[in-house]
Amino acid sequence: MAESTVTLETPAELERPPLVDNKRSLGWITDKVSVIVEAPTPIWWWVAFVPCVIIALIGLFCIGYQISNGVGVWGENKTVGWAWDITNFVFWIGIGHAGTLISAILFLTRQKWRTSINRAAEAMTIFAVICAGIFPGIHVGRVWMAWFLAPVPNANGIWPNFRSPLLWDVFAVSTYFTVSLLFWYTGLVPDLAMLRDRAKSRVKKFIYGIFALGWRGSNRQWRHYEMAYLLLAGLSTPLVLSVHSVVSFDFATSILPGWHTTIFPPYFVAGAIFGGFAMVLTILLPSRLLYPQLGDLMTRSHVDKMAKIILLTGSIVGYAYLMELFIAWYGANQYEKFTFFSARMGIDNPGWYAWAYYVMMFCNVISPQLFWIKSMRTNYIAVFIVCMFVNVGMWFERFVIIVTSLAQDFLPSSWRHYSPSTTEIWTFIGTFGIFLSLFLLFMRFLPMVCAFEVKAITPEADPHQTKHDSHVGVGTHQP
Amino acid sequence: MKRIFQHPTAPVTGKKYWRSLGQLQDTPEFRGWLEREFPQGASELKGGDVTRRNFLKLMGASTALAGLGLSACRRPEKHLVPFTRGVEWSIPGKALFFTTARPTRNGYAPLVATTYDGRPIKIEGNPLHPASKGATDTFSQASVLDLYDPDRAKVIRNGKPADSAIFEKALDEILKNVGDGSGLAFLMESDNSPTRERLRGEIEKKFPNLTWAVYEPLAGESLEAIYGAGVTAVPALEKADVILALDSDFLGNGGDVATTRAFTSRRKVTGPDSKMNRLYAVENRYTVTGGIADHRLRVGASQIGAFALALANEIGAATGSAELSNAAKAIPAPAVKFNAEWVKYCAEDLVAAKGKSLVLAGPRQPIAVQALVAAINAALGNLGQTVVGLAATEKAAATIADLARAITDKKIKALFIVGGNPVYNAPADLNWAELQKSVETVVRFGTHEDETSAFATWNVPLAHYLESWGDGRAADGSYVSMQPMILPLFGAWSDLDLLAKIAGLPKPQGPELVQETFKQLAKPTDFSAGWAKFLHDGFLAESAAKSAPLTFNAAATAKFVTESLSLSTPDDKTFEVVFTACAKVDDGRYSNNGWLQEIPDPITKVTWDNTAQISPATAKSLKVGDGDLIEIELQNRKMEIPVIIAPGHADGSISVQLGYGRSVVGRVGNGTGFNAYPLRTTAQPYFAVGAKVRVTGKEYKLALTQEHGTLEGRGGDITRVGTVEEYKADPDFAKTMGMDAHIPPNVSLYTNPPLDDQHQWGMVVDLNVCTGCSACMVACQAENNIPIVGKEQVANGREMHWIRTDRYFASVDENDPDPELVSQPMMCQHCENAPCETVCPVNATVHSEDGLNVMAYNRCIGTRYCANNCPFKVRRFNFFDYNQRKIEDGGLYKWNLIAPKGTEDTIKLSKNPNVTVRMRGVMEKCTFCVQRIQEAKIAAKVAGRDSANTRIPADAFTSACAQVCPSEAITFGDIKNPESSVSKLRESERGYRLFEYLDVKSRVTYLARIRNPNPKMPGAEKVGAAMKSHHGHGPDHDAKAGAHH
Repeated sequence: MAESTVTLETPAELERPPLVDNKRSLGWITDKVSVIVEAPTPIWWWVAFVPCVIIALIGLFCIGYQISNGVGVWGENKTVGWAWDITNFVFWIGIGHAGTLISAILFLTRQKWRTSINRAAEAMTIFAVICAGIFPGIHVGRVWMAWFLAPVPNANGIWPNFRSPLLWDVFAVSTYFTVSLLFWYTGLVPDLAMLRDRAKSRVKKFIYGIFALGWRGSNRQWRHYEMAYLLLAGLSTPLVLSVHSVVSFDFATSILPGWHTTIFPPYFVAGAIFGGFAMVLTILLPSRLLYPQLGDLMTRSHVDKMAKIILLTGSIVGYAYLMELFIAWYGANQYEKFTFFSARMGIDNPGWYAWAYYVMMFCNVISPQLFWIKSMRTNYIAVFIVCMFVNVGMWFERFVIIVTSLAQDFLPSSWRHYSPSTTEIWTFIGTFGIFLSLFLLFMRFLPMVCAFEVKAITPEADPHQTKHDSHVGVGTHQP
Repeated sequence: MKRIFQHPTAPVTGKKYWRSLGQLQDTPEFRGWLEREFPQGASELKGGDVTRRNFLKLMGASTALAGLGLSACRRPEKHLVPFTRGVEWSIPGKALFFTTARPTRNGYAPLVATTYDGRPIKIEGNPLHPASKGATDTFSQASVLDLYDPDRAKVIRNGKPADSAIFEKALDEILKNVGDGSGLAFLMESDNSPTRERLRGEIEKKFPNLTWAVYEPLAGESLEAIYGAGVTAVPALEKADVILALDSDFLGNGGDVATTRAFTSRRKVTGPDSKMNRLYAVENRYTVTGGIADHRLRVGASQIGAFALALANEIGAATGSAELSNAAKAIPAPAVKFNAEWVKYCAEDLVAAKGKSLVLAGPRQPIAVQALVAAINAALGNLGQTVVGLAATEKAAATIADLARAITDKKIKALFIVGGNPVYNAPADLNWAELQKSVETVVRFGTHEDETSAFATWNVPLAHYLESWGDGRAADGSYVSMQPMILPLFGAWSDLDLLAKIAGLPKPQGPELVQETFKQLAKPTDFSAGWAKFLHDGFLAESAAKSAPLTFNAAATAKFVTESLSLSTPDDKTFEVVFTACAKVDDGRYSNNGWLQEIPDPITKVTWDNTAQISPATAKSLKVGDGDLIEIELQNRKMEIPVIIAPGHADGSISVQLGYGRSVVGRVGNGTGFNAYPLRTTAQPYFAVGAKVRVTGKEYKLALTQEHGTLEGRGGDITRVGTVEEYKADPDFAKTMGMDAHIPPNVSLYTNPPLDDQHQWGMVVDLNVCTGCSACMVACQAENNIPIVGKEQVANGREMHWIRTDRYFASVDENDPDPELVSQPMMCQHCENAPCETVCPVNATVHSEDGLNVMAYNRCIGTRYCANNCPFKVRRFNFFDYNQRKIEDGGLYKWNLIAPKGTEDTIKLSKNPNVTVRMRGVMEKCTFCVQRIQEAKIAAKVAGRDSANTRIPADAFTSACAQVCPSEAITFGDIKNPESSVSKLRESERGYRLFEYLDVKSRVTYLARIRNPNPKMPGAEKVGAAMKSHHGHGPDHDAKAGAHH
């Protein structure tokens, strides 16, 4: 050991790829991020935005019709009390996991590659949670009485039922939404100030100025900002894990075979991260195409890293699926066995939903295995296709859990097939309209890359000018 | 009367206190002021006679007048006191109970009507009458809805609307033209009312040559030729140890409350030593009777005669009865062969129980089969023992075929059709519509304007039985009273009104006609006391029909058998068509009753339609499945009908319910089912052979309440069944079946709040006597204001029934064509550790101290989480505003913001005022009739006065489902009271609760079903075997119960 020489040079194969390609300067980053907002609205934006808004409006119309007439305009029945509504809720809430995970957990674990994608991912989180929040709101029979869920002191002296996981959901989701929004907005402030300073029209200057909260970039402001951001990251981190755990309690604490499963909280969190990253990639890969300059900020290495996370979480999800089957067999409870082997896998059963189970298995467990191959992880088209599979698969996962368990439960007399109504389908499509409309607005009016944080990870930003950052400070800013 | 208020004089001793200077001074102005209780405004009311009472009277009267539709809701002014008069015994909001009786084709059903403020809202059986003992059937329960049917005939019509005076004048004209009555004919429904008979006598005096015909589409043959004139042979099921039912659904539509009670009295099991009767059933389709039978043989309805012959041969040989042997030998042996062992050992069992056995042939079977069965019973020595004679209650009348001949001969000038619906349901060969058109004047009295009304000169609304005075005879022949609860809602006439008018008597305003009959029949010493008691009790004591000796006419019997026993040989190309009474709409008369349309058929679980039931093998050969439309062709008459695959059905046989496919019917019955009457003839009213079937390739949507009919090997958990032998060997067998046998006792971390009320409510359901008739479902619907949702929503799986009867087919081998059938009533189990309660986020469903799982509708926001977490799936969600929106014509889907809203006024009257009418978006479910519990609690508190004893006496009241049940399968009460029936039954070793392993601690205990198979019979080893699921301790530890349907 004594003889060994320590080389400061990292071997080439362990060389980390640069986080910003083509050695872009700080000014270039500012320009290229700002120009997205400042340039005239491109044609493609309108081409994308108008259909999205129309779809969103159709969805809102369906919601209005459903609220006016009753839940009966959907396809649910006496046996299957939840179907697409809660499936969509859990689907969107799951998607809303990646953003905060990227922003908070990767921030705390010093994953610097997060900087170029966290803003968009967080925006996506917020929009996904908005879409998710629609469903528990409108799925109830009497929407106008939904305020009963709030712990408001009232003359009747009736409180919400604190034993109900649905109530935990209300708190978990609203807290998550609030914190995510604050976190996102806090991170936006320095970039809003940048846009304000570059704005040429008075109106823009005024509006960006309002939202930039008087940011001047002083040392004092930066110190406060860093602390606030760190605290919010600390606050968000447990929320990322808790919100989907609480959502999974809706099922895990019930007594229904297929729902009543202790594996649900970790399995749901892993699934949410899995689905969330897939959605981040689904959105960012086309954005990168539309704004080629972003290619230097969101590099192949970013895609590679995210694909690795998808591979990991997809495998966790796959493990959970197999473990559920194992426990159903090992537990020797005939009702559990039936739910997993007959209702889901379709063994000895008419197999109403077996196809959905296999769709889920293929999309979530098999398709991400492609990412063991590095060339696949860095092939944008392959990544995009796998991500689309994952998006589909994660929706089907929730559908399989909710509908197959309900449709065939304890008493065979009550077994009932479920199929969605047109209104129900359009409500779901409508939420995609809402989601994409909001995201397009975000792209158009807010900096979709966190410019100041990206600048901080460029080599020039390193005060020590060493190749590899050994700095342990927060280090996201150099004036 | 003006009430003068005397201010109490102040005591003269001590200080004088005063409330105002006016009082102190005691001025006349002050006294004047004091006299008026309402100082401001009271003197403004006109007339000096304003007291508080008068004021309230006026207010009450004006409110009553202002109420929309309520102006029609009134009692007969002349004899009963209107509610504006605030009579002593009437307390607003408290129910009043009146006895009455409902006419049926098998005699009058003795009933008690519950009325609120003059509105009958619920029907119960008359607990004093031995034929009811408080129980009723599905039709009586639903009859109250018919009263309020907004589609009822409302005006007298002669092409155009007329009134009573015009009609009465026209009636006189019509009667002038009929001479001595040879031109006058009546077509009536079967009815044994003595007043009707008396009036018929009066009319016959005036018109001696009139034709009086009675038509009931579902009546059986008269057996007077066999048993003697004026005698009805009645089975004494309570005395029979061994019963063989040949195409006899005596527990279903072929019987009544009393037969069900008599049969199930011998199925009540209190311990392993209880002696049960044994039932063999031979039938083409599963009926509720076949479902409860210990042995069942699938045989086409046209083969029943051949089966009876085979049986007669066995019994003739065993008993040495020459008459029977001779009668049987006189006919050539039929080609069709039955399982010889089945016939042999069944006959052996019947012979062994000689004098205590009973062979029943359904009234659906032709006279030859009836005669053969009578001969078998005679040979078995059952006549006078298990078959007894009662004096007939109804006088002979002409048949519809006789009337048709008279019309064809142009004899009839005026035809009165009272009730019924011959244009729709007369035998097809009569071509009744044409006949009716050829009569000069047809006067039609009908509750609805229907197919028959379309071809009538005069249409007069016929009163509902709850609107009219009347009398009748119950199944046991006792004289029962029928009294109105409400004035005819639409100015309808009763049949007695019409007959009295024709007889030349004035149209009665009250009970005079019935009182006259009562005087003649009862000969009371004190008329007013006797009449009051008659109305109060609902029947005349000791008026039951005298038992008449059965004079078995062997010669006539043998003649029937040898001359008319038709033995058809089944072939592979044609089918047998069997016309059955519908368990819901009967012969079609209840088509417009939503409650009946929406309860599922007890066997097929189809709602709102009739079906062609065929066996799985027949379906396979025809390559059809559920809902495929087939065309049945019988002697060039055709009908289309959807198929439903019915396990346990005879091959090559098609069962079709009558009563559907009506063309002129109200909004409920419109477009329901397919009319089978066009295939039905006078000669072959119940089954016909030689039908051809064509698969049309079209599909029809059927609305089933239960899509899945097998137990999936869960019988050991859900429906536990044992045989008598197994029960004797291990009395606790029911406790060690299914999952319960394997799973260690539950240990809970959580302690629920104590259930510490002095009452604790619970229920016991005895699967051994439940036939699955579904009367409990309608009773619950009537009691609890449960809405109907319509066919489309039932098809969507959204029916609202709080109690349902689950029907399972089970067999060890899934391809066994003879699966067992078991029915299980399922309602909220009121779990002590209720899974629904923990998950409700708004505390809308919580537990009460007396052990009820209660729903706060006002608090419910409708997340449906509770229903998802309910292992019994008994919670029902208001997916739409069923009480405010039209359920027909897609009304539920019309945008609520612009679509009309509201309910028919008469439907509002039918609601139980003690039960909230639920709005859309809330969850509901069985409450154990909490309104009855509260009423009983109040009564106990009132009875207890100042004492601390506010406990409700044992069995003081019961839930609607328990009350209606003719076999007493459901028992409800206080499980904390050791004297209550329910607490005793809960101790039964047959008792088990569903899903103990979930630790829900349900309050409903099921008592395992005990079957009594004959060990020698083929298939005896299969009895109950499928209910021992692979978790049980039975021999088939891994047997997978079959998958039928």
